[in-house]
Amino acid sequence: MKQLPQLPPSDEELVRMTLENKSYFGDLVDRYQAKLTRYIARLGVLNNDDQLDVLQDIFLKTYKNLNGFDTSLQFSSWIYRIAHNEAVSWYRRKNVRPEGHLIADSEEIISFLSAKTESADEVFDKTVNANLVNDALQKIDDRYREVIILRFFEHKEYEEISDILKIPVGSVGTLLHRGKKQLATVLNPKTIRI
Amino acid sequence: MNSTEQKTPQKSLKSSLFERIDSENVCPHSRFLFQGRECFVWFLWTISIVVGAFAVAVSLFVVSHHHYALYEATHDNFFTFIIDVLPYLWFVIFGLMVYVAVFNIRHTKHGYRYSVSTILLSSLFLSLFGGSTLQFFGFGYVVDDALGRHMKMYGSQEKLEHEMWQSSGQGRLLGKQVYVSVLPSKIVVFEDVSGQRWTLDVSELNERDLQLLASNEKVRLLGTTTNSKLHNFHACGAFPWMMGRNISPARMNEERKEFIVKMNEIAKEAIERPNFSDEPTSVSNLQPVQSKCSRLAVVRRMP
Repeated sequence: MKQLPQLPPSDEELVRMTLENKSYFGDLVDRYQAKLTRYIARLGVLNNDDQLDVLQDIFLKTYKNLNGFDTSLQFSSWIYRIAHNEAVSWYRRKNVRPEGHLIADSEEIISFLSAKTESADEVFDKTVNANLVNDALQKIDDRYREVIILRFFEHKEYEEISDILKIPVGSVGTLLHRGKKQLATVLNPKTIRI
Repeated sequence: MNSTEQKTPQKSLKSSLFERIDSENVCPHSRFLFQGRECFVWFLWTISIVVGAFAVAVSLFVVSHHHYALYEATHDNFFTFIIDVLPYLWFVIFGLMVYVAVFNIRHTKHGYRYSVSTILLSSLFLSLFGGSTLQFFGFGYVVDDALGRHMKMYGSQEKLEHEMWQSSGQGRLLGKQVYVSVLPSKIVVFEDVSGQRWTLDVSELNERDLQLLASNEKVRLLGTTTNSKLHNFHACGAFPWMMGRNISPARMNEERKEFIVKMNEIAKEAIERPNFSDEPTSVSNLQPVQSKCSRLAVVRRMP
């Protein structure tokens, strides 16, 4: 009899398995290390050593709080929330504002600028310079930048962003709309058309 | 970046993480800790809603049971009366409880999913609905009265009414008739709530007032102190002491109407009443003179 290929365990199953055998936690680390490294870099943790420290704190906190994981959420939303909080704590500890890093590469920027999810009348020029947008993203309010990063660079759904940032879904839409508006104001209006 | 370079930091992170978990003996926190925290937050929320509801109940009781019917007797106008009698403490408590409720809901597992306005409005609604229900069953009075009895600092509605009506200098007394003689002359002795006895001049009281005085119930007297050393008081009106859980707004309205009629009578009598003195009749003392009651400030304040 032909055996069906076994699907890898879901994150939620791994959480349950980790609570019985901690070695399974390594699988969760493997799954999320790259994603979270990229995410915290976008939030402003740039130095490799700092990233390792923050990641260790994120995973340690995740491990300690496994029993508090709300199964009605996606595990990814939960660990992103922890990552977000740890990154924020990190730059508060360092007393710095996240700055001067590349949030996204040119392809991501182009994809972000062509996103038509917000409103039909907001049409961006695709020939924009990626560096220009990166610089502009540094200049907008933290709360707008966080939502924009999660939506357009981490490709999270509204509900997931709501769970990660602990804000109502309606506020996610509002912040995105305002964020894009502020971004457009910061960007040279001659280069970008809204 | 090649695959070897990519794997090295991952491996080092995982191994250093497990090293730390082992060396620091890190274990996942107990499930009960999270459940307990969640329960505690909901418990605080429940407490805040209940206390908020009681604040609403007492506020409703205080606001609806203040003696608006007779406000001209104690204050210059309705505005100064309202400013004096509003239950600020309970308003503050209510506001604080709504804040605590909103704060706690926001800190429950899924509290962040609701907007502040939704949480605020639902907390307000729950407290207002709960408070109205409690007041419907008379709990506003019960709480206010109990706090007034057991806490010296707390100014209950009853204490406030006492303060407003036990003021002989301003022509207001609160107490009971304790003695009355008809012959050879009518003497009425009235004991106020501080235990002071007064000799009342009841010549200007109407039948209803006299019946009220004779009822042996606590009454409010409106008049003027004619001799503060001898404790003589000229009574112009008697009004029932209305305190308790069963005083309806309709009863208050009735009292208001009676008060207005009474004050109008006094004002009318002021120009009709002759001066009955023992002095020989003269042109001057046959002229209409003002009664003592007509000189009361409250008569001038009446609309």
